[in-house]
Amino acid sequence: MGEPFRQMMETRPARGLPNWRGLWTLYAKEVRRFIKIFGQTLLAPVVTTLLFLTVFAVAFGGGRMVAGIPYVQFLTPGLIMMSILQNAFSNTSTSLIQMKLNENIVDTLMPPISAFEYATAFILSGATRGIMVAVGVGGALSFVEPVGIHNIGLILFYGCAAALMMSTIGLITGIWAEKFDHISTVTNFIILPLSFLSGTFFSIERFTPLLQSFSHVNPFFYLIDGFRYGFTGHADGSLEIGIALVTVIDVALVTVCYLMLRSGYKLKE
Amino acid sequence: MSEQRTLTRPGTEPKTRPRLGLKNWLGLKTLYLREVRRFSKVYIQTVLAPVVTTLIFLAIFVLAIGKLRGEINGVPFIQFLAPGLVMMAIIQNAFANASSSLMSAKMQGNIVDTLMPPLTANELVLAYASGGATRGVAVGIAVALAMSLFVSLVPQNFLLILFHGVAASYMMAMLGIIGGVWAEKNEQMAAITSFVVTPLSFLSGTFYSIDRLPDYLQTIAYFNPFFYAIDGLRAGFIGRSDGPVFLGFVVMLAVNLVLWIVCRRLFASGYKLKA
Repeated sequence: MGEPFRQMMETRPARGLPNWRGLWTLYAKEVRRFIKIFGQTLLAPVVTTLLFLTVFAVAFGGGRMVAGIPYVQFLTPGLIMMSILQNAFSNTSTSLIQMKLNENIVDTLMPPISAFEYATAFILSGATRGIMVAVGVGGALSFVEPVGIHNIGLILFYGCAAALMMSTIGLITGIWAEKFDHISTVTNFIILPLSFLSGTFFSIERFTPLLQSFSHVNPFFYLIDGFRYGFTGHADGSLEIGIALVTVIDVALVTVCYLMLRSGYKLKE
Repeated sequence: MSEQRTLTRPGTEPKTRPRLGLKNWLGLKTLYLREVRRFSKVYIQTVLAPVVTTLIFLAIFVLAIGKLRGEINGVPFIQFLAPGLVMMAIIQNAFANASSSLMSAKMQGNIVDTLMPPLTANELVLAYASGGATRGVAVGIAVALAMSLFVSLVPQNFLLILFHGVAASYMMAMLGIIGGVWAEKNEQMAAITSFVVTPLSFLSGTFYSIDRLPDYLQTIAYFNPFFYAIDGLRAGFIGRSDGPVFLGFVVMLAVNLVLWIVCRRLFASGYKLKA
């Protein structure tokens, strides 16, 4: 066998080494998928978030304070986080289910990409969309209401942790779902309610004590609260608990996702 | 073995539609029922999900604003908000039904099954619009019932509620038909929803009284049929309206008439469907 031919047949590096090219290709394919339809995947969330800001600002009336800061400044970080949560989830879940329905998912399962590489490529692409939408929303909102930055490190940590978390949950949902209906059900009955009711629009001080104690185990609450702290310097909950909880949940979710992919659950059965 | 077949004398073949000039009631009913079954089969996505979303909106507004705001148009903020949310759900769902039905039929290439049967343009419009309007009204009722568990939602003027609920449903269903006929890709449809329907349903007075807006925006509102739909339905519940009630009737009837003519023209010409 000639040397060029042997090289051509080499589809992945020797055992134990990561297949960087496969990983990169799958990641790039996923990013191009949503960029191609940017009107729907990037622009629409920006417009929707601006609508929320407008509606709340007008309905709420100017000059009111929440938790010691003007309401619009309180609301803006919450809206950015909400768009990260919804879009990171939506990217991986719809990509997987579309490939399943179009029956071209085999094209991503056949190449010599390990379960870990597969998970990494998809999770990072969903997170990329979440972060791109966040930057877009943040940019658009700052024209309306400039928001100061209190702690850039926390903004980056919570933004990335949220994008990774939701992208991973989206991937798990996508692997599990068999119909588009399954994805819509998870979106409408779990993701939307949690992203709306975990403190995006109001301080949880307004909750009854029972709901407040529930909020303290809700990772979405810590994500929104911590992210907001990064902008305003005000947090309802504890930042340390938030960082610890969010990190633990991210690691646990990625592990679950990896194990699902390695077992071939619903994809290779 | 001979094929069993009932021979018919010439002139007595089973008819596919009544003679010229008569309505094809059977075809109309069949297409309408197909449209209704299409959404009722997936009622979790088409009826239950909007109910949950609307209740979440209600919860957010109660928690974020609640008693911080005084009365609007003589009623507490929540009672002002509830009818607006009912109308928002009607608007979004009546539109989604007709548009997604046509869109998915086009995508799957089975639109020909509704174009081949002997249905006139008027019958097609009536069946699709009524299918979408049925979903709008069904969601409106479901949302109103669910919200009445939390908010006092007492009809003051039943006629106004009925008129605006049905008129808005037909208006949006017919806009959905136009969108569904025009769009060639799902992205285009999603663009209409995200950049036209959602903004109009959010900004036309669902969440606030338009006298909170600057003067020029108030003037624009008087040319916006969504405003009359929301305002009219709300007037049926709280007994007070921002705009003139009679003008609301006229605008809604006129808009529906114009949309009907446009839709009929689209189907009759075969624009994008038979072209």
